[in-house]
Formats: sequence, C-alpha cells, structure tokens
Amino acid sequence: MSTFIKIAWRNIARSPARSLITISAISIGLCSLIFLKGFVNGADQQMAENYTGLLIGHIQIHKKGFQKNMSVEKSLGGLETIKDALRKTPQTAVFSERVKDFALISSPEGSAGILLLGVDPVTEKNVSTIHKRVNKGEFLKKGDDDKILIGAQLSGNLKAEIGDKVVIMSQASDGSVAAAAYEVAGIIETGAEEIDKGLAIITLKAAQSLLVLNGKVSEIAVKTGSLKEVDAATKILKAKIDQAKFEVLNWKEISPQVYQWLQFDAVFTNLILFIVLLVVATGILNTILMAVLERTREFGIMLALGTRPGQIVFTVAAESFFLGLIGTFTGALLGTLLVIFFGANGIDLSVISNALNTLYYDSIIYPRSGWIDIAIYSLIVLTVSITISIIPALKASRLSPIEAIRHI
Amino acid sequence: MSSIINIQRLSKTYTEKGSNIRSTALDDITLAIESGDFVAIAGPSGSGKTTLLNIIGALDTPTSGEVVVDGTLLSSLNSARLAEFRLKKIGFVFQAYNLVTTLTAIENTEYVALLQGISNKRRQHEAYQILKDLGLENCVNRRPGELSGGQQQRVAIARAILAQPKLVLADEPTANLDSRTGSDLIDLMKTMGSTLGITFIFATHDKMVMDKAKTLIQLHDGKIIA
Repeated sequence: MSTFIKIAWRNIARSPARSLITISAISIGLCSLIFLKGFVNGADQQMAENYTGLLIGHIQIHKKGFQKNMSVEKSLGGLETIKDALRKTPQTAVFSERVKDFALISSPEGSAGILLLGVDPVTEKNVSTIHKRVNKGEFLKKGDDDKILIGAQLSGNLKAEIGDKVVIMSQASDGSVAAAAYEVAGIIETGAEEIDKGLAIITLKAAQSLLVLNGKVSEIAVKTGSLKEVDAATKILKAKIDQAKFEVLNWKEISPQVYQWLQFDAVFTNLILFIVLLVVATGILNTILMAVLERTREFGIMLALGTRPGQIVFTVAAESFFLGLIGTFTGALLGTLLVIFFGANGIDLSVISNALNTLYYDSIIYPRSGWIDIAIYSLIVLTVSITISIIPALKASRLSPIEAIRHI
Repeated sequence: MSSIINIQRLSKTYTEKGSNIRSTALDDITLAIESGDFVAIAGPSGSGKTTLLNIIGALDTPTSGEVVVDGTLLSSLNSARLAEFRLKKIGFVFQAYNLVTTLTAIENTEYVALLQGISNKRRQHEAYQILKDLGLENCVNRRPGELSGGQQQRVAIARAILAQPKLVLADEPTANLDSRTGSDLIDLMKTMGSTLGITFIFATHDKMVMDKAKTLIQLHDGKIIA
C-alpha cells in the first residue's frame, strides 16, 4: 500500500495550483462552518441569557395554575418547603421571591394597565439583570417601600418623571380595593416593548402590603448555574415539589415561542451549514474528477500492468484524504482562531441595535464554539472529502486499459 | 522449442458507436510463436499490429478465434483473471514510455514486482541492479520528467523485465526515440531476451527493428502477408 500512498501524496504536489484551490475550498468552507456556527451559538446563547436574565429567570415556581391565570388568589404560602427543595438542588444557584399582579397605574396626565412586580431589592439582583436597565434614577433599595420603577415608554405616556407621584390600583387578595401612591425612583429602558411600556416595580414588602398577601408571594424566580443546567434542575425540582399544588416551569415552558425561535434558528443555521458543505463537496468532486481525467492514461497503464481496481480506488481516495486532511486542519485552525478572536473582541452590530434589542440580542455578538462542534464539523468535512472521491475513484478503476492508454 | 503463443483463426472487428459500421482489424489469423523468440510484427498504420499485440497481452478480446499464451486459453479467463495473468506472465513496453510520473525511476521499475508481492528488499535490490545494467545507476531517484526519452524507455524495459515475465510486448518502443538510441535499445532487449529467456514481441514499422528481429510477421489489412 505504501507505493499507492506515495503516488497519492506526490500527486498533490504534481499540480500545486489545483491542490491549493482544493485545500483552500475545504479550508474556507470549514472555517466558514465553524465561524458561522460559533456566531449563531454566541448570538443565540446571549439572546437566551438576556431573555431569561432580564426578568424571567431560568425557572419559576408558582401555585398551580398561576401561569395560565395570574391572580393574587393564587399566591404561594408555605415557602420553606419549596426553599428547602431549592437549597438541596445543586443546580439552583440563587432564587428570589416575587409578587406579580395586573394593576392600573395613573398619574395626573394619564393611566395605563400594567404588570406590577414586587421584588426583593437585594435578592432580585441575583436572578435578573433588570437593575442594570435603570437608565434614569436608581434601582430600589431595601426600605424603598414607597418608591416605584416604571418603564421608559410608560413614563412618557404618563408624563411621569423621577420624583413624580403615581398611583397603583388593583384588587387585593381579600377582595378589597388596593390603592397606594408611589414616588417614581427610576426609569427602566430595555428595548423590549412589553417591559418598557407595561411594567412597574415596587418592593416585595410594598406589594405584599398593597395586595394584603400576609407574607405570601406569587412566584419564586430561580437562576441555575448556567442555561445548560436548566433541564436537569427542572427535572429534580418537579420531582421534589408537589406538582398537585405547585407548578415548576422553566423558561422554555414559560416562553415556548422564544425557545421555538431558537430552535428554528438552529435548524436554519444547519440548513445554511449544509449548503456550505454541499459547495465544499462539489468543489472537491470537481477537483478530483479533473485530476482523474488528467491521469486517465496513467491509470490505464497501471491497470494494464496488473494493478487491481481496488488499488486504483485506494490511490484516488488517499489523494482526496490527504487534500481533505490538510484542508480540514487549516480550516479548523483558522475557524477556531476566528472564533477565539471575535469571541474575545466581539462583532459590533450596533448599526442594527434597535432590531437586535427588540429580539433580546446584544449589539455586540461574541461567537462561541465548543471543541465538540469543531471536531464534529472537521470530521464531517473530512468524511465528505473522502466519500465524494469515491465517485471519481470508481470511474478511474473501471477504465478500460486500452481506451485509457489511447486517451490524450 | 515449444510455442509460447498459439493463435487459431483470430478475428477482431470493431463496430463504431452509434452506427452499424464495422471495421475489421484482424482477419482470420493463425500464428504460433516460439518461446524465447525475438519477433517483430510489422505493417503500415491500421494493419492491426497494436490490436494483435493487445489481444496477445490480454488487454483486448477477440471477436472470434482462440488465443493460447503460455498454455492458457485467454478466452477462458474473466477480467480479474486476465489482470492477474497480465501481471504474472506479461511485461509491457508502450510507445510513449508511460511511466507513473510521480514515482522515481527505481520506484517505476519496482512497480510490477510490487504488485506481484515480491519483498521490498528483494525488489529494491533487483531494481537497482537492472537499472545499473541498463546504465541508469545515476538516475534511480529521478522522476520521469527528469529523464530523456531513451532513459524513460529503458526504465520501462526495466519495469517490464524485472519480474521475469514469460513474454514482453512492446508497442512501437522506438517510435519516439532517435535512431541511435532506438537501435541501442533493441540490442539491449535482444541481449536481455536471450540472457533471461524472455520472448519479445514488437509492433513496429521501423525498418531497423525489423532487421534486428529473429522472426518477422508482416500484417496488411488485418491479414498476415509474410
């Protein structure tokens, strides 16, 4: 076999320009695959982190039925059992209690229906990044029970600025009318319309007092170590927490449309990757076919001398393997370096930041690729380069020696 | 002496692709060639020399008739057996040198021996020895592109005879060489044929080759005329 490997290897140097074009096609193709995958991975991961991090959290625990029909009557009591389960679940890093209710907010200039959120100013910072989105004023502190944060668009609609008073009205858990005035302490701007237009935040204590909840909460928002741990943590919590009384929902269940978007994005990306792979495969096929055509006479001589068809197939496939190996190595290296470079420095897409923010994407995308992704794509490209060469290899092995020798 | 080749009523006709036009390349040839002979098959272009050589060399099949080479009836072999037969019994020297361009002179010389499974050490030693005998000891590591036409043809001869076949078929081996080089080459093959007991058959229209042949077979329009 060594002579056939030698022939295959030396054939690469026989037509340097052709080999270089093939190697470049494989390298650029694989590099694009790795970079594109890294870009989409990075963007989607940032999007999922932003989406869950902003307010939703990774997992929410409610009284059963709360997610479908949000009301103060479905508040959680007996929190210690749930908290104990959370503390004993290794993936659940932090959690925070919240009150959630629909309410009416009004100012002297107008009124609007909103989602009222009561948060613990200290622990909320562990599960969400909403405190980072206060662009005027400041986030609530412990004891700020007479203060409120409102969305930027809501602030504009109500013409309520920092220091102005607004009134919140709702129905308390005992059926009485809940109403209280709060001073605007901060304006939240996220880029997400439903938050900027329809969210107001007060302290957990203030919300419990307003809605007469007697220490009860609407939900416990949980953040796991990373998004990858969400499924495992959900499974454990569902097993530990009585599902007849409570509901444990992860972000995919809370916002299936966002999760489906990410899945669609992954499928679409794979489709693009498949097209890139097809282009690479066609390039390799074309080059190897040309190489076989160019050496028809030589293959004819080899067959006439008694070379077995299998040995011809091996020679052509080995040549393709070497081209694929060099191309794969350089492509994987280039792709990895690109992902590492842009992963550290980011790709600035701030020219379309409005559109990106609406979809929870960041203006700066940091590509991320795992070694497994890189290894899988490299293996696929290498396999394709060998597999695709079987067509010209079989063509070469089936040549009639006489006709091949006559070939000019 | 026994016959190494026995041909009975051999005919070969070709039908042009896409039409029913038939042309006769060989017409009812009966022929016997003695073992160890040095034979020139002569004739003008289109007389059937190469076709006859290809059929004897198991590269082509007859339309009718029987060809027996070294006791083997070629029509009884399938394509895989024919390839094996070529590998073990026949050496080829083609008109346009036809070496594997990516292999060096010594690697080209070893090629057939390699296919026959001869050990690495033995075939390297014998390849070097034969190249040395052919005056190519300084060219062993050169590739075909770095050799002259005469040197390439000598490497092709070395490749053909290294595995000591029963029969060497050479199609116009001197066609691309100057007369002096061609004459030296034929003398070389003649010497090797008699030394090693190999039967040489040439297809040629070179008068010098015909003059040096022990047996001359003349073809015209697919028939033996002398």
